[in-house]
Amino acid sequence: MKEWIFTTDHKRIGILYLVGSIAAFAVAGIMALLIRVELSSLGPTLVEDASQYNVWLYFHGAAMILAFLIPGLTGFVANYCIPLMIGAHDVAFPRINAFSVWLFWFAIVLALLTFVIPDPPDVLWTGYPPYSVQTDGNTAFYVFTVHLLGFSSILGAVNFLCTVIYMRAPGMGWNQLNVFVWTTLGAFVIQLVMIPVLASAVTLLLFDKYLGTTFFNPENGGDVLLYQNLFWFYSHPAVYVILLPAVGIILEVLATFARNPVFNYKVTVYGGIWGTVLLGSDVWAHHLYTSGMVDWLRIGMMVTTLLISLPVGLLTISLVGTLYKGSISFKTPMVYATSTLFLILLGGLTGIPLAMTSLTVHLAETYFVMAHFHYIMGITATFAVFAGVYYWFPLMTGKMYNETYSQIGFWLNFIGVNLTFWPLFGIGIDGMPRRYFDYQMYPEFESTQMLSTVGAFIVAAGMAITILTWIHGAILGEKAKPNPWGSKSMEWTHCEYPPGPGNFPTPPEVTAEWSPYNYGKHTAQSL
Amino acid sequence: MASEEAHVHHWEWSYYPLILVAGIFFAVPLGFAAFFVYGSGLMSALFIGLGVPLIIWGCAGWAGEGIANAENETGWALTGLPIFIVSEVLIFLSLFVSYWMLRLTAPEWPPPGSPEIGLGIPIFMTILLVSSSFTYHIGEERLEEGDKAGFIKWLYITIGLGALFLLMTGVEYTHLLGEGFGFSANAKSTAFYSITGFHASHVLVGLGIFLFVLFPALSGKISHVFVTGAGIYWHFVDIVWFFVISQIYIW
Repeated sequence: MKEWIFTTDHKRIGILYLVGSIAAFAVAGIMALLIRVELSSLGPTLVEDASQYNVWLYFHGAAMILAFLIPGLTGFVANYCIPLMIGAHDVAFPRINAFSVWLFWFAIVLALLTFVIPDPPDVLWTGYPPYSVQTDGNTAFYVFTVHLLGFSSILGAVNFLCTVIYMRAPGMGWNQLNVFVWTTLGAFVIQLVMIPVLASAVTLLLFDKYLGTTFFNPENGGDVLLYQNLFWFYSHPAVYVILLPAVGIILEVLATFARNPVFNYKVTVYGGIWGTVLLGSDVWAHHLYTSGMVDWLRIGMMVTTLLISLPVGLLTISLVGTLYKGSISFKTPMVYATSTLFLILLGGLTGIPLAMTSLTVHLAETYFVMAHFHYIMGITATFAVFAGVYYWFPLMTGKMYNETYSQIGFWLNFIGVNLTFWPLFGIGIDGMPRRYFDYQMYPEFESTQMLSTVGAFIVAAGMAITILTWIHGAILGEKAKPNPWGSKSMEWTHCEYPPGPGNFPTPPEVTAEWSPYNYGKHTAQSL
Repeated sequence: MASEEAHVHHWEWSYYPLILVAGIFFAVPLGFAAFFVYGSGLMSALFIGLGVPLIIWGCAGWAGEGIANAENETGWALTGLPIFIVSEVLIFLSLFVSYWMLRLTAPEWPPPGSPEIGLGIPIFMTILLVSSSFTYHIGEERLEEGDKAGFIKWLYITIGLGALFLLMTGVEYTHLLGEGFGFSANAKSTAFYSITGFHASHVLVGLGIFLFVLFPALSGKISHVFVTGAGIYWHFVDIVWFFVISQIYIW
């Protein structure tokens, strides 16, 4: 027990991240079900009181983004895989790594206190003033949840940047890194530079509400839009913090199961990943198109927002190109990975109209926006996390999951999410506003809302089956064969199953010809 | 990193990260919310009374483990610290941007009712902080020459100058609050107290780091990486002060 709770080993810390983020995912998922049930019929359905609904919205958004997706991707997968992929015995600062994971766990505890304290936070995940300053809800807990998670991520960024700079196996060049390592470095650079801005924004909120300063109080020289600018300066790039490692996982899975090197490696890394990181910081104001801003700024932000399609397009080309002429086998990780191609396409293309200022005037604050970001951020990244858990499952546990039930879980999830969100694009265009507790004035949308609720319950069944396959596999699964997928990446070829303390029986060294994608075809370097 | 060190045969662990996080959790979110949200000074005092000793225990134990391992130091922390400082820079930058936005869109500045803030105290504080950077540097040079006693002497002087800086901040705040220039007076007081207070909190953290250099040094244990890192952080805090004085006091 002591070696788990007080562990400084990156693999065990990674698993602690996984357990915590899946717990947050489960609770936030239950919030989503409550929201869907509430919306399934006109008028108050479950609760009479909209403030209870606001608490659900708060917890669902904050926990899914800050406590599931970001820690699941940059906490769990990065911790478990990066030292193994680069041939290191641990991260650069193991104790700081343990510090990060416990900051994350205590942030989840703080968020869960929402359900037991009087006056819980009810400020959505955005915490916009003036409501967040004037509400009776406990905005302080929202602020401190962001602080703990932010501090955890910043320290994680420092840790992993140093790890990759100093601890690569002897002979491993920068162009021999797994694409997942690159995507995570990109995500961590965003975290390092942008999270402080979010932390400042919510800190000023705390000062305004409890210490009486006037940053966001227009009656006394403050400015409400200041908060929105600071908030989205982090929170738009946060989308790329989620998207980049998700694409990284998907590329690893696609390469392994298609027996192909990652297509267009250098362009993907230096154009796709770093292009997204650079441009990602210049688009935040498109969240403020209808909040009030000057026209020239609106057009500038429209241009940068559309420009970001280019690096994201490079990533998408790489995803599809990696499949080209591959010898593909559809195990569970691969079905999750390939399904994200569809989800990214739908989520990405619906982003383009939202970038257009003229269309946004109509679409802002409707279900169209909500369906768009659920596809591109929520579902794509969740499916990527699931692909990753299934893909590295034999490595982490030394055992195999049940393939049949996992596939059943996948199809329930995939059908369910599309049933839930696809119809919402339609009623969004027709004018259904988001965040409404009761939509008495739009009775024509009731049947679509009901359909969406049915979809949500199909997802819930799929998720339950999926998580059960992990628990069952970890405890009762058959012993896994070494390297069951036949990958060439270092975490599969050089480790024991599962890897023990210090990771590698003998510290690995690589030659200039070595590549994590060396499937006997052209290698990453030759492209 | 020595190659025989690279292969570890047991699961490594440490008590102190979890202790430190638990301390932060009790002292900061719970301590703050108990007082400001739920109005219970007693609960707040209990949480802070529980949290602060845990924080000190966690930091002391952590520093102890680091010092005990000082001969195996890699020096990577001296890359990690500047990377961390990037995020600190961004925090200060977003505070300054908020200040500029409030100031440049205000109909008049300073807003009516703001007292004149004298330059005497801040210039004295500048002298204190700049000389403290130099005294620390002299201490580091003494240490390189192998003169541990000289290092400790100059470290005392540095800590004294830093503490005097904080004292002067207190004097200035007391004076301004006495003139009725509270946190909520207007946009200027909002920016003034937030930025100077945030900088002062960094001075306080820097002094805390110095204490964790000082106490082991008194018993003869000195980590060179820790000494250099504390210096980098202190110089950073010093540099930020120039932005504070030029933007807040002189402009």
